[in-house]
Amino acid sequence: MAKRSGERARCVTGIEGFDTVLYGGIPRSNTVLLTGSCGTGKTSLALEFLIHGATKGENSLFVSVTENSDKMLANIIPYNFFTDDLVESGKLVFVDLPVMYERLGMTKAELSMEEIDLLVTAIASLARELGTKRLVIDSITSVCYKLKTSEKIRDFVLKLSKALTDIDCTSILVSEVAAQSDSYSMFGVEEAISDGIVLMANMERRGDLLRTLQVIKMRGTMHSRAKYVLDLTPEGVLLVPLLKGGSTRA
Amino acid sequence: MKFTSIGIKALDEHLGGGVSKGSTVLVMGTPGSGTEFFAKQFASAGDEAVTYFTSTERDEDILGVMREYGWKTDLSIVNIGTKYYENVLAKKLEISRFRQEGITLSDIRRFEEKDMHREENFLTFLSYEISKLEPPFRVVINSLDFFLENYDSAEVLMAMRTIKAHTQHSESVTLMTMLKGVHDSRIQSSIEDLSDVILELDREKVGHEYKKYMIVQKVRNRPVMVGIVPCSFDETGIRPS
Repeated sequence: MAKRSGERARCVTGIEGFDTVLYGGIPRSNTVLLTGSCGTGKTSLALEFLIHGATKGENSLFVSVTENSDKMLANIIPYNFFTDDLVESGKLVFVDLPVMYERLGMTKAELSMEEIDLLVTAIASLARELGTKRLVIDSITSVCYKLKTSEKIRDFVLKLSKALTDIDCTSILVSEVAAQSDSYSMFGVEEAISDGIVLMANMERRGDLLRTLQVIKMRGTMHSRAKYVLDLTPEGVLLVPLLKGGSTRA
Repeated sequence: MKFTSIGIKALDEHLGGGVSKGSTVLVMGTPGSGTEFFAKQFASAGDEAVTYFTSTERDEDILGVMREYGWKTDLSIVNIGTKYYENVLAKKLEISRFRQEGITLSDIRRFEEKDMHREENFLTFLSYEISKLEPPFRVVINSLDFFLENYDSAEVLMAMRTIKAHTQHSESVTLMTMLKGVHDSRIQSSIEDLSDVILELDREKVGHEYKKYMIVQKVRNRPVMVGIVPCSFDETGIRPS
């Protein structure tokens, strides 16, 4: 039996408040599902995770599925701590998954089991080539639309997280859910097989629409399960505890 | 009745002066029976402007054969085979390489919008190219097999009906080649049905050699012309013997 090594090494996200919630950061090589409806700040949080990583010298890879990465790049400039140098030096790499689909000839609406293996291998080998330590896929839900069945989604997420764990890469899979959904993922499968779930949501409070963040599950660490209010600022994401008083039912 | 030559003098005579203008001719045969050869001889005849669509041969091979037999090579070749290679097969080769070796960052960076996989529909391309021709034209489609292999048979039939109608209205002539006994019999019957003239190249082993025949299977409204014409291949091409 493997000896318990005690505390797992951490991937310090660098996001104000988030590391505190996680008692020091995401356990290294975990695959975390970052889930929420649109406009809750998923992409911003995921990007910040990568930028902090790249700044600290950890190679970071953003795999964009829905949005063109050039457009994405144009949208992150407001962060004070982001410099073009990170991209130019190759510390922070943006890749469009549709280009990989094309390269691999995956033009059909649904991928076969064999193609899922090929895709996982291709992403993992790219991460290996780049020495990636932090990876974001935005969004895994868009990939799932190409997988269709829950068996295939399960297969894909399991294999991908295995492959990324093998190269000691900490990953965030962005997942989209409908605003009123009570599930953590669109297909219900992704959530069951990831190492962690971070839920982001919108909450109306006294006429304001607040963004909230809550860590539902995180393997390998203790964590707060409280709901936090999230503020997107040019300094990055700020997390503050949600004040329980007042007229909200939350 | 206005006729145009089919490219073989004696066969023209057998058909009462050639094929009537506006005809769609189908030449069938098993592999090696000489359908492609027949197509080239047909392409060198008549006084229409000739367009030769090929899915299997290189341009120089077509011209080479025609020169060897001293046939007129005044024709324009539209090489669907080459386009298919560049558009589809080369891409397939590249894809198999990426699948085998993985994709590097530079492979991704090299990707441009123009690499987007938009498979051209060669059936649409064929119909479009024919629609642009100035009548009267003489068209060779070598071969229908390429289209039947790559596209839905209903689509191929629709395209062939369009081409046939266009040929008919413009008093032009179109010849298409097709392998015999390869396609589903319903498709073969439908193609035969839309053709005005059907020729089949056949051979029979007699002793130590082949006896070759051109079977005139169908001449629309001229059932009397249906029959078997023994033939041979010599330095001038196919000739009835």
